[in-house]
Amino acid sequence: MLRRLGTAVGCLLILVWCLLPVAWIISLSFKTQESITVGNPGFLPSEGTNAGWQNYIDVWDNEQFRRAILNSVGIALIATVASVILGTLAAYAIARLEFRGKKFVLTTALAIAMFPVVSLVGPLFDMWRTLGLYDTWPGLIIPYMSFTLPLAIWTLTAFFREIPWELEQAAQVDGATSWQAFRKIIVPLAAPGVFTAAILTFFFAWNDFVFGISLTSTENARPIPAALSFFVGADPFNRPASLLAAGAVIATIPIIVIVLVFQRKIVAGLTSGAVKG
Amino acid sequence: MSTATVERPARGKGKVRASDRARAENSLGQKLVAPAIFVMLLVTAFPMLRAIYLSVFNYTLTAPDDREFVGLGNYITALTDPLFWRDTGVTVLYMLVTVSVELVIGFVFAMVMHRVIFARGVIRTSILIPYGIITVVSGFAWQFAFSYQNGFVNGWLPGISEQFNWFGETTPAVIAIMVSEIWKTTPFMSLLLLAGLAQVSEDMIEAAKVDGASWTQRLFKVILPNMQAAIMVAVLFRALDAYRIFDNIFVMTNGASGTESISFLTYRQTIEQFQLGMGSALSVLLFLSVLLIAWLIVKLFRVDLAAARQEG
Amino acid sequence: MKQPSIRPGRTRRSIAALASLACTAGLLTSCSAFGDDSGPPTLNWYVNPDGVETLTKLAKQCSTDDYDIEIQLLPSGATDQRTQLARRLAAKDSSTDLMSLDPVFVAEFANAGWLEKLPDEAATTAVDEDVLTGAAETVKWDDAVYAFPQWANTQVLWYRKSLAEKAGLDMTKPVTWSQIIEAAEKAGGTVGVQANKYEAYVVWINALIQGAGGDIISDNEAGKDAKIDIDSDAGKKAAEVIKQLADSDAKQPDLSTSNEGTSLGAMFPAEGPGEFMTNWTFVYKNYEGVVGAPGGPADKAAFGDLGYARYPQTVAGEDSKPPIGGIDIGVGAYSEHPDFAMAAAECVTNTQAQVALAVESGLMPARGSAYEDPALTKAYPADLLKLFRESVDTGGPRPKSAYYATISAAIQSEWHSPFDVDPDSTPGDSADFLSDVLNGKALL
Repeated sequence: MLRRLGTAVGCLLILVWCLLPVAWIISLSFKTQESITVGNPGFLPSEGTNAGWQNYIDVWDNEQFRRAILNSVGIALIATVASVILGTLAAYAIARLEFRGKKFVLTTALAIAMFPVVSLVGPLFDMWRTLGLYDTWPGLIIPYMSFTLPLAIWTLTAFFREIPWELEQAAQVDGATSWQAFRKIIVPLAAPGVFTAAILTFFFAWNDFVFGISLTSTENARPIPAALSFFVGADPFNRPASLLAAGAVIATIPIIVIVLVFQRKIVAGLTSGAVKG
Repeated sequence: MSTATVERPARGKGKVRASDRARAENSLGQKLVAPAIFVMLLVTAFPMLRAIYLSVFNYTLTAPDDREFVGLGNYITALTDPLFWRDTGVTVLYMLVTVSVELVIGFVFAMVMHRVIFARGVIRTSILIPYGIITVVSGFAWQFAFSYQNGFVNGWLPGISEQFNWFGETTPAVIAIMVSEIWKTTPFMSLLLLAGLAQVSEDMIEAAKVDGASWTQRLFKVILPNMQAAIMVAVLFRALDAYRIFDNIFVMTNGASGTESISFLTYRQTIEQFQLGMGSALSVLLFLSVLLIAWLIVKLFRVDLAAARQEG
Repeated sequence: MKQPSIRPGRTRRSIAALASLACTAGLLTSCSAFGDDSGPPTLNWYVNPDGVETLTKLAKQCSTDDYDIEIQLLPSGATDQRTQLARRLAAKDSSTDLMSLDPVFVAEFANAGWLEKLPDEAATTAVDEDVLTGAAETVKWDDAVYAFPQWANTQVLWYRKSLAEKAGLDMTKPVTWSQIIEAAEKAGGTVGVQANKYEAYVVWINALIQGAGGDIISDNEAGKDAKIDIDSDAGKKAAEVIKQLADSDAKQPDLSTSNEGTSLGAMFPAEGPGEFMTNWTFVYKNYEGVVGAPGGPADKAAFGDLGYARYPQTVAGEDSKPPIGGIDIGVGAYSEHPDFAMAAAECVTNTQAQVALAVESGLMPARGSAYEDPALTKAYPADLLKLFRESVDTGGPRPKSAYYATISAAIQSEWHSPFDVDPDSTPGDSADFLSDVLNGKALL
């Protein structure tokens, strides 16, 4: 009985912990900009300071913001697809094949997952200027790929190890090459794992800030986190808190939708990814 | 990397010799990992080598022609500078506090998630929201929450003046940044711990219970030791992540009031001050310190790297 | 690759032909990168986010048959704006045609070779005698002119007349910082300043030092070897003012994170007598626009209680040096169309453009004649216009140095937080630190 009560309290705690700040930013997004300038403490919008949907309309009218959303969606999707494809190839090899250099791949992936991103932006900035990749989509897609590949490789390797490989062997006995067996038999079986890796990769790319501010300088490629931090409203001397909040909520919607729809897959992916054995 | 010769696939007409097969497998394996390795190294190894090279020059972007060789001068300047050590100290503080708090809260959350039967989906969904939310957004949300003009924290916390300015001094500003960081990353910690918890056998806990072990004894003698690997991997990942803290500082204080981390210092040198030489030296130092921390955690706590590397 | 065909304009045909030739000879891709092949070239104008609506109109008005001007928005902080532009220019970016520059960065950009020098004729008109001295000085570097002043900003002392009256402070005579801090304290009001760790804090420090007859640095052209003067009696006087406010009950709770926006709300608070505030010229239009709204004056009569006076003195009896800000328009050195860009820059900074910016967006003209324009005299009280004009004409600029960004960051790091400013040690410490930083001996 006590135990069940404890669990219930714990559940409540988790819900409050996770959702309170989200509720807060939503509440903020409905306050009027004027009331924020004066100072409007308190959690909920009070009488006369409720802006309705005006902040959302305003932020959506802002072309920079729309561009940033477009950039983020495009860059994150492309990086995700590319990273998952390369990750799948690599994870298959790691889970399934014996080859020289396997340890090197795993160590590299681990090392890169721990790499201090900031220590790269200087030289990368320099390189990208030389190569003409500065302030372009590929200029962000490539680093996103590099930093999501370790995650993709781990998650996928964990999933691939669970796949009944006898099927592949059966196919090989029937005369298929390793490649054919991979393509025809394993890919369909591996799809759920690939999907999970894709979600985690997408989260990373959507969240990135350091590359976003360092390797872009205009709305050409500036992603949403960077755009939010540079966001200016009509009055440049006042940070438009409620507009920012509305923008932040819009930027969070894709995440919430993904979480709602794919909750199981994400938990499975995270828990199988880094800890095994 | 892959130096495979032209592959002759083992096309299955008749018998295939085992050595051919092994060679084909070796070659295929290397080809499959090659693109991933290439992309990973393109953005890390090459820039890192370049950073090492640039770090021995005095090189400013605004005056590229004045580039001069200074040897280890940049490193000596950095390592003898009080600002470098202050920022390193602040960063270590961020790391120690956030990881310990997250470990405790994350473990409680993992226990709850492990036990909960009803509303499992709701709990897991909500815990994923902080995990998925953009760090910058988390920073904004908490910055406004702590703002005395527009926030609710001062009103809710007893013993805090309504006019208290959290971002005006170092200690409260660091606390505010830590809160945002902890909120955002605890779910990750708790999910990793949940996976570890799932591997502790229920039989063992039951057996301990039958033997009359109290709840605390079961926790410290049975549960925790059995999920040591999971805890250590979680700590390793989060510690290195926390050491690189940047986004929250950028959004919440922009480094003012002594909240600057070592990542932020490096960023300012290279991106804002255009000091490519000094910035590169700091990059190298940052990289070395991350290596050092990883090595310390692995050695001190005997983390099973094979587990982290998925060589199960 | 098709050569971009250019619709011939009547007056600029020859320039257009030349430019298109240059275009084919040069980087083919960049000519068509912006806009389609058939239309006239597009000039990119990077603007800071002040008065964007008016700037958009100007861009349209100043576009001709030969080129279209398109606006690109920069972030809000002066430091961020500099970073963004400098990164593009360091990459020799040809798409940076026109840029709105904070005056303090003209020297650095000109010195790095990122700004196109104005041709003699344009240079003469850009800084003719109609241009107010404070603004004209900002665009000169190394005996040449590198930008067109577009508008001039300055700070004045804004206050509630009722507050000054209550405190018994005579505002018809020049007042000192010490007087307004004491007056605010006495009457239960506050003093609003900008003291977060950012550029406007240096604006305040610089104005305080100059008001005491000193300077942060001198012999600016020497670059890294400039003479550092901040460790002086004037530096000490400046630190004393900051300390007096930080120790006083008249400080606002967010003193160490205050900016131009945070102090606005304290002028017409729900409770309390209001504030004295040093702030830029936009304040007048700002309060006029929020009459009746929360945070604004309750009605017309309350708005009439808003007073303004010359920037406070650091030392009694010595003329204050109001801060100078504003925007100068420069032409990118790597522009594909420097001639077009020069013409465009001249157009967006002419007298009508300046009047439009002042009337519509509250950004004050850099040209004296614009202050006499009927549209402007109708929009502002005559004495306020006179105050603005005088302030710009007699104001004190921040150090004009190719290393200004470094100097500013070094000052910020030693003088922030205002609570830690000590008149006995801060000026000396900041002089030592600045010298170390300029010589690459300390991290910034």
